Amino acid sequence: MSYTRRDFLKATMGAATMLSFASPAPNLLVRAAGTGIARRDDSDTVLVVVQLSGGNDGLNTVVPYADDEYARNRPTLRLQPNDVHKIDSYLGFHPRMEAFSRLYKEGHLSIIHGVGYPNSDRSHDVAMRHWHTAEPDNPNCQTGWLGRAADSVWHTNQKDMPAVFVGPIVQPFGMRAEHVIIPSIQSPDDLTINLAPVESQQKLAGESFRADKDNPLLNHLRDCTANATVNSRRIDAVTRTSSNKTDYPAFQLAETLRTVAQLIRADVGIRIFFTELGGGGIGGFDNHANQLGNHCALLHQLSESLAAFIHDLKKYKLLDRVLLMTISEFGRTVKENGRRGTGHGVAAPIFLAGGKLKSGLVGSHPSLSDLDNGAMKFHTDFRRVYATVLDKWLGFESRRILDKQYEPLDILNV
Amino acid sequence: MAMQIEKLSDPSWAWAAYEPDAERPWNLAQAGHLYRRAAFGAGWDQLQQALSDGPQRSIDKLLRPQADTVAFNRTFDEYETSVNSVDALRAWWLRWMIQTPHPLLEKMTLFWHSHFATNAAEVKNARLMQQHVRLLRSQALGSFRTLLDGISQDPAMLLWLGAEANRKARPNENFTRALMENFTLGPGHYTAKDSQEASRAFTGWFVLRSKLRYISREHDTNEKLILGRKGNFACDDVLRIILEQPATSRHLVRKLYRWLISETEQPDEALIAPLAESFAKDYDVLKLVETMLRSNLFFSAAAYRRRIKSPVEFAIGIVKALEGSVSTTQLANDLADLGQNLYNLPTIRGWVGGKHWINSTAIVARNNLASALLQGSDRYGKKLNPWAVAQNHGCATLESARQFLLDLFLQSDLDSDVYDSLPKTNRGQDDDLGRRTRSLAYAIVTLPEFHLA
Repeated sequence: MSYTRRDFLKATMGAATMLSFASPAPNLLVRAAGTGIARRDDSDTVLVVVQLSGGNDGLNTVVPYADDEYARNRPTLRLQPNDVHKIDSYLGFHPRMEAFSRLYKEGHLSIIHGVGYPNSDRSHDVAMRHWHTAEPDNPNCQTGWLGRAADSVWHTNQKDMPAVFVGPIVQPFGMRAEHVIIPSIQSPDDLTINLAPVESQQKLAGESFRADKDNPLLNHLRDCTANATVNSRRIDAVTRTSSNKTDYPAFQLAETLRTVAQLIRADVGIRIFFTELGGGGIGGFDNHANQLGNHCALLHQLSESLAAFIHDLKKYKLLDRVLLMTISEFGRTVKENGRRGTGHGVAAPIFLAGGKLKSGLVGSHPSLSDLDNGAMKFHTDFRRVYATVLDKWLGFESRRILDKQYEPLDILNV
Repeated sequence: MAMQIEKLSDPSWAWAAYEPDAERPWNLAQAGHLYRRAAFGAGWDQLQQALSDGPQRSIDKLLRPQADTVAFNRTFDEYETSVNSVDALRAWWLRWMIQTPHPLLEKMTLFWHSHFATNAAEVKNARLMQQHVRLLRSQALGSFRTLLDGISQDPAMLLWLGAEANRKARPNENFTRALMENFTLGPGHYTAKDSQEASRAFTGWFVLRSKLRYISREHDTNEKLILGRKGNFACDDVLRIILEQPATSRHLVRKLYRWLISETEQPDEALIAPLAESFAKDYDVLKLVETMLRSNLFFSAAAYRRRIKSPVEFAIGIVKALEGSVSTTQLANDLADLGQNLYNLPTIRGWVGGKHWINSTAIVARNNLASALLQGSDRYGKKLNPWAVAQNHGCATLESARQFLLDLFLQSDLDSDVYDSLPKTNRGQDDDLGRRTRSLAYAIVTLPEFHLA
């Protein structure tokens, strides 16, 4: 889209008459600089949420390879002790998650075991809605937790958007907000307008017959236009310099995370990024049959993409400002079914990645024998994890967003 | 338009019909203002016609168009009933807005769409959504009483609110809470107890297989105490009691004030009171809209450019001005990205709008939509052709086209420094006037001023 747009502008204006379409940009830029837009607080933290759609099988992601129950329940799906990337004498990462294993050893990856919620639902739509609203007890909840998070820091004179969805699917409900309009984008180009140098001014006859200097709406529009211009320029500067495409593997998720990294580097005020792996609907991680190959491919994609993202941020010394978190609607049954797949479960691990993690393993691995209708029981409510990232990481008031105060986990070095 | 502060605070002057005089002449800017508020913008002929008609006759035409709107709406309505998806409904409604001979009716339907906010993704039934918007249109300039009555029986609304089952043993407050909080009284004018008691009056009503049903044995026939009134009330009684509350008409007048007059400040109670009292007598929407549109206040500086266009108003404003027609399937998607997804309101509070429409990323997205509409080679193709329109209205040079487009889109009401920032017409190697007019049009509709309604 951007390519043709620029084409249009170049073709129509010609190089000599290339003019800014951002209207009175020069004056506004001066004004914007005066209002502090150029001096953004670079200590602002960023949260990246990656949704694993379909219900990830935590057991075959972080594998309790030394547990007899694991071997017994997974006659065809079990991963062999020699193949997993060992974390300790009990757990190991899936064989194709060598990148996760590396991140873990570097201290850039945490595993929160046994996350779920009371009376959890095992249908995709309902469970995912619960993770999105963070209000499982309120079936009519009309907003998502990230939407409310954005709303909680939003005020009517705010110019820059605190949250963005990045990805090719329909924006998930988790970003539904009452006030803020959260954009969905697929590439940094979606956040840029053409910026060409402005020619010297030429006075035109005809004075404005209405001097309206104190219209608050017009001032807001002018300020936002100025910010759009500045932000566009920043994003352009970043995307033009990062031409090295080899940094990221050729996965959709990797491309998405590259976009996220570029927007973090551009420093345009986005505090929350939401993205997705698995396709958004049923499918993806929902492997009721022949799970092994598909799950393996997805985990490989997740692990490689995320590692590329972390190393990219590290390269630009931004890792300490970024925390990535995975969510999925539920885990899966301990016992595999007769079709080399698994059913919908309860507890699953959440992964955190970033530069300020306290410890690799959080909480104990749930028991494989003390089950809730065939699935591992949860011991950590997902809203405690949400509260942690909101309160401790973003510095937002989780009580306002989650409707009550959940006890944060002590997992971040902040 | 000099600000007449002392007069504006006088309700009898504010709501009296505007009559042009030397101080507040009827001009292109006023005509543009009227068409932005009472329609979705205007083409050149409409603006010129309005200029010669004067304000009151122009408003007559907007309120009660001479064209056969009944036949037009019947045709559109018939087609719509054959539509089977919400995507198609969205596209069709946009087409309706563009082509209708009665744009004020669609504008007010859009107002009620946000007021009675629903969400098709939750209702999961295109047919019910179509019936819902048809209900809104049927009373958009009709009776609020009839509209409210329809809404209380509207399967789409009840499903969306989770109010599809109202058992005697488990009265469902989801509808009555929305009714009191959002649709009528407004926050602070009812108690949780009022809503609970009212929900008992709605027991017996169910949505079963997408149809409204009344099961009398599920109705609670005991006495209820609602807003200080005691009786064995049924749902009709609840609506009657609520409509008798002065808070209801005040709430609606304030909301319509924000829609038609100004978003910048809360009007004084004294300004609202006469309209609210009059509205409460018959809940005649047309009369209320008419009073507002004809008023001195409407044509004063307190209203002029004191609203921010919604994405729909922004895009259709461009289409109407350029007398074109574009793919509304594509447009519906693009408008959803700008935060206005027709048939899919974010929450029961509707589109909050105003300044919330605008932030730096929304500006980028609006610019990019304008570019796609105007550049002639993107997803909208060449449907809009500013140079052809300028030529049709007598322009022969780029300079005259520039003036024409400024008059058309902004009635040339701009500060001189903004004027100066626009692309020049006297230089450049590109002698393709079509292309250069396209970029001029783009430069104009991406000015901050163009986002103001």
